[in-house]
Amino acid sequence: MSVFTDYKKEIMDAAHNDRIRVALSRAIKSYRANTNDALKKFPHTVKMAEEVRGIKEKAIGEMEELAEQASKAIESNKGKAYIARTAEDALGIIDKLVGQHKLIVKGKSMTGEEIGLREHLEEHGNEVYETDLGEFIIQKLGSRPMHILSPAIHVPKEDVAKLFSKITGQELPPDIGTLVATARNLLREKYFKADVGISGANVVAADTGTLFIIENEGNIRLATGAPPVHIALIGMEKLVPTLGDAYKVAEVTWRYANYTVPSYVSLISGPSKTGDIEKVTTYGAHGPKEFHVVFMDAGRTSLAKNPILRQVLYCLRCGGCLYECPVFAVTAGHFGDKYFAGMGAVWAAMLSGDVEKGAAVAYTCLTCGRCKNRCPMKIDTPEMIIELRRFLIEGN
Amino acid sequence: MGKKSRDLIPPGLAYLADNITNKHNVLGESKTSGAKWAKDLKIPRESETIFFAGCGYQYTRKLESLMSLVRGMDKSVVGAELPMSIAIFQKKLGVDLAGVYGKLLSRGDDTEAQPLRDAVKVLRSLGVDFGYLADEEPCCGGLLHYIGLQDDFAKNAQEVYRKLKSHGVKRIIGIVPSCTYALRNLIPACVDGYDLEVKHFSEVVLENIGSKELRFPKEVKVTYHDPCQMVRYLGLTDAPRQVLKAIKGIDLVETEWTKGEWATCCGGGGGFEAVFPELSHILAVNRASELVETGAQIIVTHCPGCIMQLNAGLKDLKKDNVEVLDLAQVVAMAIGA
Repeated sequence: MSVFTDYKKEIMDAAHNDRIRVALSRAIKSYRANTNDALKKFPHTVKMAEEVRGIKEKAIGEMEELAEQASKAIESNKGKAYIARTAEDALGIIDKLVGQHKLIVKGKSMTGEEIGLREHLEEHGNEVYETDLGEFIIQKLGSRPMHILSPAIHVPKEDVAKLFSKITGQELPPDIGTLVATARNLLREKYFKADVGISGANVVAADTGTLFIIENEGNIRLATGAPPVHIALIGMEKLVPTLGDAYKVAEVTWRYANYTVPSYVSLISGPSKTGDIEKVTTYGAHGPKEFHVVFMDAGRTSLAKNPILRQVLYCLRCGGCLYECPVFAVTAGHFGDKYFAGMGAVWAAMLSGDVEKGAAVAYTCLTCGRCKNRCPMKIDTPEMIIELRRFLIEGN
Repeated sequence: MGKKSRDLIPPGLAYLADNITNKHNVLGESKTSGAKWAKDLKIPRESETIFFAGCGYQYTRKLESLMSLVRGMDKSVVGAELPMSIAIFQKKLGVDLAGVYGKLLSRGDDTEAQPLRDAVKVLRSLGVDFGYLADEEPCCGGLLHYIGLQDDFAKNAQEVYRKLKSHGVKRIIGIVPSCTYALRNLIPACVDGYDLEVKHFSEVVLENIGSKELRFPKEVKVTYHDPCQMVRYLGLTDAPRQVLKAIKGIDLVETEWTKGEWATCCGGGGGFEAVFPELSHILAVNRASELVETGAQIIVTHCPGCIMQLNAGLKDLKKDNVEVLDLAQVVAMAIGA
């Protein structure tokens, strides 16, 4: 029972940490207000979410075919595509592409987090910079993300000022504007010196092989645009049949992530190219010369066969459910594993294969169902949690 | 896929599950002690329509004392080491649960299960005919389902159905939301040809209230806490509110965000308090403070678990001027029953 004991201690430490509670109560308040406004301004989103649920339900049953189709499209765009069966396969493929002693700029990726990508690359002698501000803070703190969209949601500005003062050797005030500018300065040159840029994707259109990446900071544009090589690691559940489907998924995702519209959505389908001299297509113009996409299975196609638990794969990662979870409100991502709250339990047990951690997280769910109410995909987390508990106890 | 077994069930839940399967109620009490509340009410036993009391209210005091004990254990002695079964812990400390109950019960059985007594009065004054199975009332076993002991739940479900049928039951009026949901949705999924009609108390009240004059003894600000099982399982948000709105003297004040389908769980959901008693208490305090912010003098809800949690939360907030009542109690007061 030591897994449960350790986990319970972690949860309770978090629950007694007033800073987590204060940070989250502010975040919850503004999330609800912003999402309400965004949905009021664009009321068609609710209907579109229903349509997207249909798209995802179908796509999750066809991940294999969609990955094949997307791979072909990417290859015909002169990119390279790979299908990794396991986390180890994915790391192996990326190792070969990156090599050693490289400078890497990285966008935030939950799939990367799932397989420990940054740590793995660092262990192999590479210098890796997380470029998402929250993720950068987490990396420098040596901590782990506590929310899928706002990884440093539990860190107040005073702590960020202390951290950045240490890095820069200058005394910095806990002023958010100053801190954001400091991160910009620290990372600026890295984009242009980097050998490789790594990203994930929010959704991928199989027909054109196009990656949709939603962001606000502009770090993804730089990380995927400036270095000569772009590698994208993508879970197979992100695939949908067409460009039109992908757009709908993207719009619903950002709206439920509390944005009327994000600052940037990058659509990436291949390496940079030009035909401006004598109409001869030449690869490697201003953007990357190489574009590699790794589609990762790691248990997803097998989980898709479970009629109840497959719902985790419908998740758009908008993070809305987390703001509605009463346990998350006092523990943040300590209630979870690689992914958080109820969804995190299914992920830990069924995809990371950590049964004991999965069970511990599963029994932390209240099965109160408010997350389901928020979810644009109407994922029935209580139903999944009860089925997961049953599955762990009774088997198939 | 590695280890799969009952060892993965946290001990607190395993203890409660064992009570259901072996003693046929959550607390492992004798059935007659549960039925005591109805002794002087002379409710017929056999009837086509029965009032289903459920475990929660019948054993409220005992549950409260058990939970304060468990919270104490969780906080002080064991801390991180809690995953130790409650039963073993009892033995280790030499805690005599029966004795603890006895002391807490010194206030007398008449205050226990007041919501049940009031529900009976309300239904009678509305002219509803019903019986009560008393010590023959089976445990719905809902908790087994939430724990993940689906085989045990299904077995229990079949027994429940057989027992209800053997007493000629055709219709059930439930009061505890989770029992009502189990009888209405979960048990039917495990029993072929399930033909019992299940309604919640608030629905029956609303149907029969007609033009009856309802007036609360004093002018009062009331807020309503939706139990998860009521709102997101049974889908009943309107019925209890309509009943409250029909009572003169009651001013219904609600929270801004956390009402109806957005209501915050009291922290007692799905047996959570038996696994994370201290965390459960923190959540109870959070929910209580959301409700207190409305300025209400009475928090009306509809679930023995929520009532227990919210009372504990209010105590922590030192809000002894705010009272938690079951809807049945409020209606009883308004009806003059």
